[in-house]
Amino acid sequence: MKYLLIDSATATLVVAIVIDEQIKYLFNEVTGKDMSSTIMMKIAEAFKEAQLKPQDLDKIFVTTGPGSFTGIRVGLTVAKTMAWALKIPIVPLSSLEVIASATPGQTNVALIDARRGYVYAGAYDQNLNNVYKDRHILLNQLNVKGVYISYDDLPAIKPNPDILKLINKHKDDPGVNPHHLNPNYLKLTEAEEKLNYPHD
Amino acid sequence: MKSVYILAIESSCDETSVSIIKDGKEEIATATLSQMDTHANYGGVVPEIASRMHIENITMVLEETLNKANFSIDDIDAIAVTYGPGLVGSLLVGLMAAKTLAFIYDKPLIPVHHIAGHIYANNLVKPLEFPLIALVVSGGHTDLLYMEDDYNFKRLGGTLDDAVGEAYDKVARVINLPYPGGPLVDKLAHEGIDTYPLPLPLDDDSYNFSFSGLKSAVINLTHNEGQRGHQIIPENMATSFQNRVVEILTKKTMRALKEYQVNRLIVAGGVAANKGLRQRLTELCAENNVDLIIPPIEYCTDNAAMIGAAGYYAYKLGRRADLTLNAKASDQLN
Repeated sequence: MKYLLIDSATATLVVAIVIDEQIKYLFNEVTGKDMSSTIMMKIAEAFKEAQLKPQDLDKIFVTTGPGSFTGIRVGLTVAKTMAWALKIPIVPLSSLEVIASATPGQTNVALIDARRGYVYAGAYDQNLNNVYKDRHILLNQLNVKGVYISYDDLPAIKPNPDILKLINKHKDDPGVNPHHLNPNYLKLTEAEEKLNYPHD
Repeated sequence: MKSVYILAIESSCDETSVSIIKDGKEEIATATLSQMDTHANYGGVVPEIASRMHIENITMVLEETLNKANFSIDDIDAIAVTYGPGLVGSLLVGLMAAKTLAFIYDKPLIPVHHIAGHIYANNLVKPLEFPLIALVVSGGHTDLLYMEDDYNFKRLGGTLDDAVGEAYDKVARVINLPYPGGPLVDKLAHEGIDTYPLPLPLDDDSYNFSFSGLKSAVINLTHNEGQRGHQIIPENMATSFQNRVVEILTKKTMRALKEYQVNRLIVAGGVAANKGLRQRLTELCAENNVDLIIPPIEYCTDNAAMIGAAGYYAYKLGRRADLTLNAKASDQLN
């Protein structure tokens, strides 16, 4: 089976092609603000190096968040457009699960800086079960034991995502309708927060 | 000659729009999803909400357009997309979808400037003739351009601060009209008289415009009258404001026509629907033997059909973007 995996929710872009449980291409580097100009070049490079055409793909895995709002949309727009056009299944993943997938500990707490003292946090066990649900929370209120993992400048070790582990865990997940696959921001926009709670 | 079919995507502000255009002139199908009702809750377009709505709708709007046209992407010759100017988060959704389709189907990717699209909206009604002067007025743009031939733009000037439509919406708020208030100010302006001493903004030798001072004058005057216990008369304020806007827009546009010895004027963008502006331009163009061209209202507001029309001429000129094409918040058309 031929899989494409995309994670653009953090400043570190991950693009991978896996064929029959072998990684044929992996890009896993900080692109930061250049994400939107870099991502398609890396996807094109991925297909070239794996000697595949997009039409050969069986399934797409994509992170839907949490993380950078714009970053999430860049990768997810590519993935949902591709899945819709090629009529292939698309499977949503959590960007926190990707970060936690190296599983150095029994419990692995993935963190993404959400600014102003907040983080996006989620804990995953060695089998990538989400044992502490992904959430948006003040870092000083986060009360979960485990190995902390983050790309950001937080008291945590750096991630080294295990792509094969992620794909093995999710390869039989049913695909979702790409029209209805949307970001999982875990946070309202400021305008919506003000409209809902005008006196905060 | 074989026809050229362009699939065009526009998402620069609060409309997700996809269109298929034949030879830059004929609209085969368009689907547009407007977010106006959502943004009305906030009194204006909220960029992050706009971006969120674009990604929720982009593939559905693509599918609706192809279904309406009974086309598959194999029938398309090139993908055109608005890369700017506009809201970056919004632009990126249309742009990434366009790049993805161009990549998967190995189709040329045509970068289209949003203002070029507004001008070429007219091409869907009647092919453009050159040379011409174009006045593009909308909620996000105010530009005066000279075109000698197809897809050859010389920008003469534009707003230095607020776009004209933006000033209209802000004035509407001051006189308590709901968002989007521009069309309501226009309507009210026809019921009042010009009694308020508002300045004629940036009345100089350039082709630039400035509406922020005029808007501030409306706010200050309203405030000062309120301090004295007087209520301003909304219809008179609307008339006074609109008269200044129309006067400066038409004054500089007519000067450009004269200086460049052009007798053809195109007015485009959402504010081209403004009755006050249309009336005055119709009079002035008749007096000066200028052919005035204004597209029907559905082509004045943002839509992908106009991007497909402009995209065809960019395509014919060999304009191509590669997969690194990025969104640009501001970019002058030249």
